[in-house]
Amino acid sequence: MKLPVLSTSVLAFAALTGAAMASGEKIKFDYWYGLSGQLGEAVAGTCDRFNASQDQYEISCVGQDGYANAVQNTIAAFRAKQHPTVVQAYDAGTADLMMSGEFYPVSKMMADFNIDIDWNDYFPGIANYYASSTGELFSMPFNSSTPVMYFNTAELKAAGLDTPPATWEEFEAALVALKASGKDCAYGYAPDSWIDLEQFSMAHGVPIATNNNGYDGLDSEYVYNTTLHVKHMENIKRWYDDGLLEIRTSQGGLNARDSFAQGECSFYLGSIASHATVGKLVDGAFEWDVAMIPVFEGTERKNTVVGGASLWVLSGKSDDEYRGAAEYLKFLATVESEEWWSANTGYIPVTKSGFDALNAKGFYDNPPYKGREVAIQSLTYTEPGPLTRGIRLGGFIQARSEWVNEVQAALQGTKTMQEALDTSVARSNDVLDKFARTYRGKQLP
Amino acid sequence: MRRAYFKNNWVAALVVAPQLLIIFVFFYWPTGQALYWAFTLEQPFGGGSEWVGFENFQYLLSDGRYWDSVWISTVYALATTVLAMGMAMILALFADRQLRGYQSFRIGLIWPYAVAAPAIGLAFRFIFNPSAGVASYLNYAFPDVWNPVMNGNHALTMVIIAGAWKQVSYSFIFFLAGLQSIPRSLTEASAIDGARVMRRMWDIQLPLLTPTVFFLVIINITDSFTDSFGIVSTMTAGGPARATNLMVYKIYEDGFRGLDYSGAAAQSIILMFLVIALTFFQFKYVERRVHYT
Amino acid sequence: MIERTPVLNFVTHAILFTGLAILVLPIYLVVVAASQTLPDVMAIPAKLLPGDQLIVNLKAAWIQAEFATKFQNTIILATGVVVGKIVLAALTAFGIVFFNHRLRMPIFWMVFITLMLPLEVRIVPTYAVAANALSPFQTILDVTGLVWLINVTTGVEVALNWNLLNSYTGLIMPLVATATGTFLYRQFFLTIPDELVEAAKMDGAGPLRFLRDILIPLSTTNMAALATIMFVVGWNQYLWPLLIITDPAYGVAAVELSRMVPDSNTTGGDVPNWHFAMAGTLIVMLPPVVVVILMQRWFVRGLINTDK
Repeated sequence: MKLPVLSTSVLAFAALTGAAMASGEKIKFDYWYGLSGQLGEAVAGTCDRFNASQDQYEISCVGQDGYANAVQNTIAAFRAKQHPTVVQAYDAGTADLMMSGEFYPVSKMMADFNIDIDWNDYFPGIANYYASSTGELFSMPFNSSTPVMYFNTAELKAAGLDTPPATWEEFEAALVALKASGKDCAYGYAPDSWIDLEQFSMAHGVPIATNNNGYDGLDSEYVYNTTLHVKHMENIKRWYDDGLLEIRTSQGGLNARDSFAQGECSFYLGSIASHATVGKLVDGAFEWDVAMIPVFEGTERKNTVVGGASLWVLSGKSDDEYRGAAEYLKFLATVESEEWWSANTGYIPVTKSGFDALNAKGFYDNPPYKGREVAIQSLTYTEPGPLTRGIRLGGFIQARSEWVNEVQAALQGTKTMQEALDTSVARSNDVLDKFARTYRGKQLP
Repeated sequence: MRRAYFKNNWVAALVVAPQLLIIFVFFYWPTGQALYWAFTLEQPFGGGSEWVGFENFQYLLSDGRYWDSVWISTVYALATTVLAMGMAMILALFADRQLRGYQSFRIGLIWPYAVAAPAIGLAFRFIFNPSAGVASYLNYAFPDVWNPVMNGNHALTMVIIAGAWKQVSYSFIFFLAGLQSIPRSLTEASAIDGARVMRRMWDIQLPLLTPTVFFLVIINITDSFTDSFGIVSTMTAGGPARATNLMVYKIYEDGFRGLDYSGAAAQSIILMFLVIALTFFQFKYVERRVHYT
Repeated sequence: MIERTPVLNFVTHAILFTGLAILVLPIYLVVVAASQTLPDVMAIPAKLLPGDQLIVNLKAAWIQAEFATKFQNTIILATGVVVGKIVLAALTAFGIVFFNHRLRMPIFWMVFITLMLPLEVRIVPTYAVAANALSPFQTILDVTGLVWLINVTTGVEVALNWNLLNSYTGLIMPLVATATGTFLYRQFFLTIPDELVEAAKMDGAGPLRFLRDILIPLSTTNMAALATIMFVVGWNQYLWPLLIITDPAYGVAAVELSRMVPDSNTTGGDVPNWHFAMAGTLIVMLPPVVVVILMQRWFVRGLINTDK
C-alpha cells in the first residue's frame, strides 16, 4: 500500500535528517595567530587540516598580521570579553600574559580533559621556556626556532677554510681571510638582541639578568654589561670599524638574510626558521650550509633556547570551547602534524618523537631540509640549567629596543660599547622596576 | 567678525547633538579611560592597577630621551609643513595661471593624495635606500654620502621628505581652490593698473589666500604630530639610535608593542596638550590676521 | 591669463613639470615593481624600468587577496564615512556659526580636539566601546544608581548591549567621529555674508529653512570636496578595521594589502612577494584615484567661496 511505504520513507528520511542534525552542530572556537605571509598561510593550513580531520569542532583562525598585533588585539578583545580561545603569543609578550593569570595552563587543561600528552617528549630546551618554575607547562610549544650560522661553503673554501668556524676567534680569522680573498661583505650584520645578547649568553652560560634571568622573582636586574657579552659586542664594533662586517637592514635595502641569500655576504647569523626562505632565495645558485653559532674559545658550550611563539589558552571561555582547543592542541602534537609543519616551514619539530620520526624517514638527509638538525643539536647540546632555561623578564620588548638603540649609537661612534651597554642596562632596569611595581603583590607563577 | 545670527538656540542644540553624541561615545569615553591609565600603573590584561598620581609624568619629563623625542617631532612638524605648503603654494600659484595643459597638471598633482600610507613608505624605501635604491647611484659617485641606515640626520631628512610628499597634494588641492575663488575682477583690475604677474601674486592672491593658509597650517602641523606613525614605522622604525623617534611612534612602541599602557597614556596626554596649545596659539594670534571676506 | 608672458609661461610649465615629477616618482616606482618578477624586484641595484608582468601580477594579487569581497566592504565603509561625515559636520558647523550662544567655542573645541589624539593611542578602550556601544551609558546608569533604582521600582534589569564588532556600523561610526569636516565647514560658513542671513530672517525663514534652502545649495561644491577627501580617508583605513574585524567576510582593502607585505621583524622570517604587494598597492589605489579624478572638477572649484 502506498501509505505505509510513504510513511516508511518519510520516517526514514526524517531519521536521516534527524541524525544529521544531531551531529551537525559543530562547536566553534577562535584562534588568533600572529604569523603572516607564507608562514601565516601554513598556520591557516593547520587549521584547515584540523577541521577536516574531525567533525565535532570547528576552529576559526584569524591572522593578526604580526605578533605585536596579535597580542595587542587579544588584550583589547580580552578587556571587552570578546577574546579568542587560543592565541599565538611570542616569547617577549609572555611575561604580561603570565602575570595576568588569565590563561588556562595547557598541562592542566589536558589533564582536565583526560587527554594524554607525554610532556617529557618535548625537548627540554623548548619546554622550559614555557613552563612554570615547577615545570608545569603553561603554553603549547608550536613554532620554535633557534639561531644558527649560515655560511657560503664555496666562498669559505676560496678563502682557505674547509670547515665553518666553531669559535669566535676562528670566526674573526675567517672574516679576515674572506676579505683578503676579495670579498666585500664577509658578514652581513644587523644588531639583533635575540642573537647577539640572548642566545649568545645562553650558549656561553652567562646570565642576562639576576634571579636566573628572571625565573626566580620579579626583582631582577640586568647584568649583561658585566659579562662576556661586552667583549663580544666590542668585537662587533671592531669588525665594523675594520670593514670586516657590513650593516645590512631592511630599511637600508637588503637585510642580512637576503644579503646572504643573494650571495652578497658570506656569513649570516639568523633563526633556523629562515632556512626554507633562504633555500628558496638561493635556489641552487651556490652551496651553503648551517652550523651552530660560535662560542669563545675555551667556553663550555651550553644549549641555546627557543624563539618563535607558543599557543596560549585564555581564560573566560566555555567548557566546550576548551575541549575543542584541547583537541586542536593534541592534533598539533601528533607526529603527522609535526611533519607537515616542518615540511612546510623552516621550523623544527618540538618533540623528540617527532624529530626521531623525521630522522628515520631520512627527512634531514637531503636538501631542502638538510641542515635543520643543527638547530636541534644546538637546542639540546646540554640539559637546560638555571641560566639556560630561557628568559622571564617583564617589559622585555622595551629592553630589547633599548639594547638595539644603544648598540646603534655605539656603532655610529657616539659612545663606546661599554657606555652603550651600561646605559641600556640602566634604562632596562627602570623598565623591570616599573613592571614589578605594576604587578606588586603578585608572584611569578 | 559675524554679526547676523539666528535666535532659536534649541535648534542649535538639536543640530550639534548627533556629532557630539558620537564623539562622546567613540572619542571622549575611550580617551578618558586611556588617559586615566596615565595616573596609574596599568596591567595590560586588566586585573588591577596602582594609583601613582603624576609619577609617570615626572619620569617622562625628567627623561632626556623624551625631550629628544619632542624636539625631533617639532623639527619634523615644522619642516614637513613648510616644505609641503611651500611647494604646494608655488605649484598652485602657477597652476592657477591656467595655461595650456592645466587640466592634466591639476589631475596629476592631486591624485597622489589617494595613495595609502604603507604604500608610500614602501615606495620611498626603494627610492632612498643607500645600497639599492635610486639614491644608490648617488652613493656610487660619492661613497657614503647618503646613509640613512647609520646616520641619524640622513634618516630624519628621509622621513621629512616622505612626510612632506604626503602633504603636498592635500595642500595643493586647497590652495588651488582658494586661488580660484579670488574674483577675476580683482586680478583684472590690478592688471589694468599696471601690476605684473608676480606683483599680483604678492599683493592680491597671497593675502586673499590667508584663510586657506591658516586652515592648512593647522591641519598640516596637527597631522604631522599625530599622523606620522605609518611613515616612521615603514622606513626607519624610530632609528637609527632613536634619531627618528617621533612622539607618536614612541607612544606606539611603548604602549602597543611594549605593553606599557601607563607610560604610553602619559605620553599621549602630553602630545595632546602640545598640539592643543599650538593650535590654540594659532587661533588666538594668527587668525586675527586672516581676511575672511 | 591677462597678458602675454612667454618667459614666465615657460618657467610656469617647468615648475609644474618638476612638481609633477617629484610627486609621481614614487608611484612610478610602484608600477615598475608591480610589473617585474620577484627576482627582478629584489635585484641590486634596483631595476628602474618596468617589466612585462603587470597583468599577471595584478591578476595574481587580486585572487590571492580576495579583493572582490574586500572592495565591496571598503566601498560600503568609505561611502558610509562620507555620508556620515557630510551630514554631521554640516549640522554641527551650522550650529556653531549661525547661532550666538556661549557654548559655541567650547563645542567647536570639543569637536576639534578629536583631531589631536591619534587612534593608535586610544585603540584599546575604543575597542571595548565598539564591543558594546552602549557601555558608556550603562556605566553612567550604574554609577548614578539609576540601574538599581529602575530595578527596584519596576523589576527591570537594565543591561544595554549593542555589539558593533564585525559589522559595517562598527567600521563606520568611530571614523565619523572626527573633526576635519566640521572645521572645513566652519571656515566656509564664516565667509557667508551677513546680508544673506539678514535677508533670510527678513523673509521670515527660520534657521532650518535657511539651512535647507540657502546654505546647502551653496555648499554643494564644498560637500563634493569633503566627500572626496573622506572617501579616500575611509578607503585607506587600516588600524581600526584590523582590530575589530576578525571575520574575513568583512575585511577591508588596506588591511588585506598590508597582509601582502609581512613584517619580517615580528614573523618567522619570510620573503614578501614584493611584486604582488606592489600590484596589490596599485589595485587598492585605483578606486580612490578614480574618485579623486572624477570629482576634482567639482571640488577644486568648490572649496571656494564664490561670488554670491
